[in-house]
Amino acid sequence: MVDQNSNYALQTSEVYVHYGKKMAINNVALNFPKNEVTSLIGPSGCGKSTFLRCLNRMNDVIDICNVKGKFLLNGNVDIYSPDIQVETLREKVGMVFQKPNPFPKTIYENVAYGPKIHGIASSQNELDEIVKDSLHRAGLYEEVKDRMDDIATGLSGGQQQRLCIARAIAIRPEIILMDEPCSALDPIATAKIEDLINELKENYTIIIVTHSMSQASRVSSKTAFFHLGNLVEYGETGKIFTKPDKEQTNDYITGRFG
Amino acid sequence: MSSLEKRLAAEKRFKFYGMFAMTLSLFFVLILMYKIFSTGSGAFVRTTINADVYFDPNFIEVSSNSSKKEIMKASYVDLADQVINQNHPGLDEENFIKVREMYTRKFDYQLRDYIANNPNVIGKTVNLDISASSDLDQIVKGNYPRNVPEAQRKINDYQLSILDSLDSKGKMSKTFNFWFFTNGDSRDPETAGILGALMGSFYALLICFSFAFPIGLLASVYLEEFVKPGKITDIIEVNINNLAAVPSIVYGLLGLGMLIGVFGMPYQVPLVGGLVLGFMTLPTIIIASRASLRGVPPSIREGALAVGATKMQTVFHHVIPLSLPGTLTGTIIGMAQALGETAPLLLVGMVAFVMEIPGGAFDPATGLPSQIYLWSESAERGFLEKTSAGIMLLLSFLIIMNTVAVLVRRKLEVKW
Repeated sequence: MVDQNSNYALQTSEVYVHYGKKMAINNVALNFPKNEVTSLIGPSGCGKSTFLRCLNRMNDVIDICNVKGKFLLNGNVDIYSPDIQVETLREKVGMVFQKPNPFPKTIYENVAYGPKIHGIASSQNELDEIVKDSLHRAGLYEEVKDRMDDIATGLSGGQQQRLCIARAIAIRPEIILMDEPCSALDPIATAKIEDLINELKENYTIIIVTHSMSQASRVSSKTAFFHLGNLVEYGETGKIFTKPDKEQTNDYITGRFG
Repeated sequence: MSSLEKRLAAEKRFKFYGMFAMTLSLFFVLILMYKIFSTGSGAFVRTTINADVYFDPNFIEVSSNSSKKEIMKASYVDLADQVINQNHPGLDEENFIKVREMYTRKFDYQLRDYIANNPNVIGKTVNLDISASSDLDQIVKGNYPRNVPEAQRKINDYQLSILDSLDSKGKMSKTFNFWFFTNGDSRDPETAGILGALMGSFYALLICFSFAFPIGLLASVYLEEFVKPGKITDIIEVNINNLAAVPSIVYGLLGLGMLIGVFGMPYQVPLVGGLVLGFMTLPTIIIASRASLRGVPPSIREGALAVGATKMQTVFHHVIPLSLPGTLTGTIIGMAQALGETAPLLLVGMVAFVMEIPGGAFDPATGLPSQIYLWSESAERGFLEKTSAGIMLLLSFLIIMNTVAVLVRRKLEVKW
């Protein structure tokens, strides 16, 4: 059962997801503590990305995807309630995707787009400030400050991904979902993103799906291991990677399967 | 022979077949081009006869103080006759008619236009190049043979002798036939121009674009982005693909039966022609637009949705701008096809003899292809070169439009 503990940014329970008749998530319950990084790991097709996409209702756009379960934001807001506008939810729960997907517009417009449509800035100066601040937090400002009007798709992959992070935090979300944010990046760009995640957790709750177990152990304090749509084990990252309770988890992290 | 040699020989043979097919098709294109250019180039040149024109006030109904409107209204037939008498003194009535036939029938209009532009010329003598009649023009250009019995010629022996004497005095010359580009249609080949048909086609395409582009774009956006795929969308999709292949004459019948028959729209006007061309272009635009919407990566949609954009904002801020190059390319190619389409114009009456240059979509007009069709039906040799020249113009517009389509795509295409 979901308890009303407000130390959790997001609480989920009894989550079932079906793609048509195929079950993708089977009765998962998972809580995400505030201002901490939780990583979701597991072999391909285990449902970790599907689960992540439930948290900001990105699965809504997939017609055959059917989501059931309880999702409570800050202990009291049911994100699947008909009273909740999905746009307002996504203002609170931002997302960064596997492949960097900046809009083919200028760097400035990429970051300013979210604040603009939500009417967050009341003046052009304020908007400029938000863009600058967001790029700063994403660790990109120094690299792009002289070319804010360049087209964003001309940036390197790592820069593009940090731009996407800046775009996500520009609308001041509480939670940032990251779906394998480094899988398309080289090790140096990956290291930068990981440093960034460590800084961002001061202000945001971060949920990250990753294929790299070393990444999970480097950036997260909690880890959840998924297998075939089931949540196999959840706990402190240190414990999961050294003394997992379940044999399945042990097999996966030691590389015996997956 | 080893198996490898056999395969290599087969490859050589195949290359040869391909080159043969290419050469053959190029050869046919060249023949077509040669035929059109050799026949049509004559239309851009006009034979003129140099004459001293005394603007005799006794034969002019207006004075240099008259308004432009009065000048345009007055008759100059007497003045034209006077000019001929002056330049060919001592003609009896029979010979006068023969000489008059050597000059364009629109001689008086040419004089009128000159006076309208230079009102102070009345009472003075000016040396002018007067357009020859089309028959004389064709003799000078060599399109009509001279060495046949008089009865088989449009120009009789007397006229030939006058022509030769004018020629020996250096009075015959050729000028660029700008009338072809500035006049509407005419019964006389020497004054017939393409501008009326060009404007007719222009207004028709304007209507076609303003009707088909917004509807096509919105329909494709709705089908591609908003509606849930299912049986109904499948049926719609099949129908759109079928409509794109429906012969254009069927759309012409639709225009005739529905727009003119049921809605009572006027006959012969570019408005109806344009709407019919619009019906015809609509499926092409929808198909092109849907294809280019599908080409926008889903990650862009996800990116916009993830920052809290609504479906509508996602589509209008991100997806449509990215798909626009493809949509525009498809639209321009569809319009180019519409420009050359003749059958619908025939059915909605845009194939009549129209002298006036249409001033809008509600004026009677022809279109480029129907004008070409009209001229091709005329018996006079002078219209034959107009037909080819019209085809040259039509082909140039098609080439321009297709080039623009390619440039638009190159220029606006987003590099990922």
